Amino acid sequence: MKPHALATPHVAVHRRRRSAAARLLDRFLHRYLALPTGVAIALIWANTAPERYFGFAHSLAFPVNEIGMALFVGLIMQEIVEAVMPGGALHSWRRWSLPLLAAAGGMAGSAGVYLAYVHGHYESILEAGWPIACAIDIAAAYYVLKTLLPRSGALPFVLLLAIVTDLVGMLIIAPQYQTVAVHGGGLGVMLVALGIAGAMRALRVHAFWPYLAICGTLSWIALYREGLHPAFALAPIVPFLPHEPRRLDLLADPPDDDAVHHFEHEWNTLVQGILFLFGLVNGGVLLRGYDTGTWALLLGALVGRPIGILTAVGAAVAGGWHLPRGLGWRQLVVAALASSSGFTFALFFATGILSTGPLLAQLTIGAVATAAGSLLAIGAARLFRVGRFAR
Amino acid sequence: MRRVAFVLLTALLATAWLTPAAPNAARAIETLPTRPDSLKFAVLGDNGTGEKPEYDVGQRMTAARTTFPFDMVLMLGDNMYGRQDPQDFVTKFERPYSALLQAGVRFYATLGNHDDQNNRFYKPFNMDGERYFTFVKKNVRFFVLDTNQLDPRQRAWFDDVLQRSDDMWRICFFHHPIYSDGGRHGSDVSLRVILEPLFVKYGVDVVFSGHDHVYERLKPQKGITYFVSGSGGQLRRGDLRPSELTAAYYDQDQSFMLVEVAGDDLFFEAVARSGATVDSGVIHREPPGARDVR
Repeated sequence: MKPHALATPHVAVHRRRRSAAARLLDRFLHRYLALPTGVAIALIWANTAPERYFGFAHSLAFPVNEIGMALFVGLIMQEIVEAVMPGGALHSWRRWSLPLLAAAGGMAGSAGVYLAYVHGHYESILEAGWPIACAIDIAAAYYVLKTLLPRSGALPFVLLLAIVTDLVGMLIIAPQYQTVAVHGGGLGVMLVALGIAGAMRALRVHAFWPYLAICGTLSWIALYREGLHPAFALAPIVPFLPHEPRRLDLLADPPDDDAVHHFEHEWNTLVQGILFLFGLVNGGVLLRGYDTGTWALLLGALVGRPIGILTAVGAAVAGGWHLPRGLGWRQLVVAALASSSGFTFALFFATGILSTGPLLAQLTIGAVATAAGSLLAIGAARLFRVGRFAR
Repeated sequence: MRRVAFVLLTALLATAWLTPAAPNAARAIETLPTRPDSLKFAVLGDNGTGEKPEYDVGQRMTAARTTFPFDMVLMLGDNMYGRQDPQDFVTKFERPYSALLQAGVRFYATLGNHDDQNNRFYKPFNMDGERYFTFVKKNVRFFVLDTNQLDPRQRAWFDDVLQRSDDMWRICFFHHPIYSDGGRHGSDVSLRVILEPLFVKYGVDVVFSGHDHVYERLKPQKGITYFVSGSGGQLRRGDLRPSELTAAYYDQDQSFMLVEVAGDDLFFEAVARSGATVDSGVIHREPPGARDVR
């Protein structure tokens, strides 16, 4: 890591002086509790004062989902870009071929079960929701596995699997933005945004705000005019930002020791605030709004995905691949279950695919309920006596 | 003696059953004025089961038409349940309403959550391939929405057509009720916060929905009367939880509605599969500015 002017002793002194409340807030933000907290508040609010809640949520839906969440997509993109750089965790084919196969198996399993359930109930109108069943909550998988299987190969395996899966999901939903009209002219604006970002990169601009404020805004306008999801505005800009190869501990609190990680640190805090609002605006549904889509999503994520992952890995091992070091079949079952929670990404995909209405409500309930996948992983670890439960 | 007591008790229970929903318990066709120049139509929701109750309701509608000559039917969604192959269109739609179809009655459908989206291309549903559309009959403009997803384009379209409507009556119908006391689904408040301001702003008079498999008429909300008529084939017996919003309800058997718009008045009857009138009344149209919108 390069030393940087920001990493001066007075930063450390400042940190020590921070109050317990600030440290608690910091811990809250960096443990990815913001979104679940927002969802919990939204659920209580929606089921006690629905008219007020939905009025509030409706008024904030656009700025949060289409502007704020652009920062979330930017953060995810930054992690992906750093992982695929030379020296990054995804740079070597050998390293990510098995997680890639597992991701394909997981997507096939979750989509297959989801669609089979929907068709079995003759509700073809829900077909469009299949990418939601594929979504993996990277943060949930990370924290569950870091707790359950801290010294196995499960963590990098599942993180790679989750990144690939969510990246594919984002590519699928990006063109599905439901807008009133397409204005055109977005391509030209996008070229200007990329040109400015390239120039800043050439001029070695290290501060991230100019990229965000100038290029990000232009990119947002370009996507919006073309009728694409403006929440993906930072995806084409992020590769121009200063980066460093990343070790595979994506969600670990980044060190605040140089320009690159300083901006990541700042950005992460901002994104956590946005995720709280995202949970608050989108997580509130009337609990009796459950229906076919809820069960289809739950079965797809909690049953279809683990089976798909295990089947794909089984086939790969039969074809000559090797399981990652320290990862046995019992740990793999726990890892597959840990990846079954869709939560954050499932909510994001749901709002990206569907508009206000009962279909969105039933899939939102399903998306929130997939958090139960983490409990299944804990149960499996206990049953198989692996990791933290090993004797 | 016991037999007499049993008959009396049964009659008492039957009366009590119908009392909350039947302030004017007359036969269906007797309360409607049936004026020669009025617009007459029937309303049917959640009907497409292909089972006996749907056929019974179809027969009852045919019988009602002999004295109340309606020439169109509004279908409130879930027009088809289960498999939706070509043969199902026969058994779940064409056969139950064959007499009406042969008499030239036109059906106008909206899509429910059980309907295949491609059913909008089925000619007898008169949707012209659209998820949402509008049409005029005499002095009434009907607005048909797809509430499965209230996407921005549909909202913009709805705002526009409402704004341009100078028709005397504005009636909306769609599948998911924004006011309902049905126990299984109830009011969809997320839709309400979007739709109700438009209804109020542009003076929508009456709204018909289905989804909850019961009949309910709600007290006017901000000057608008809402009906839930979702038991044209399906039924969730005893599912309605009456609240202070409930004006009348019936959840003991399948039902449909007969409606007549004559000048400034809209007359309605809810008719049970048995033929009993379970609710009836008249709504007098008030100019939007004169409405009590509390």
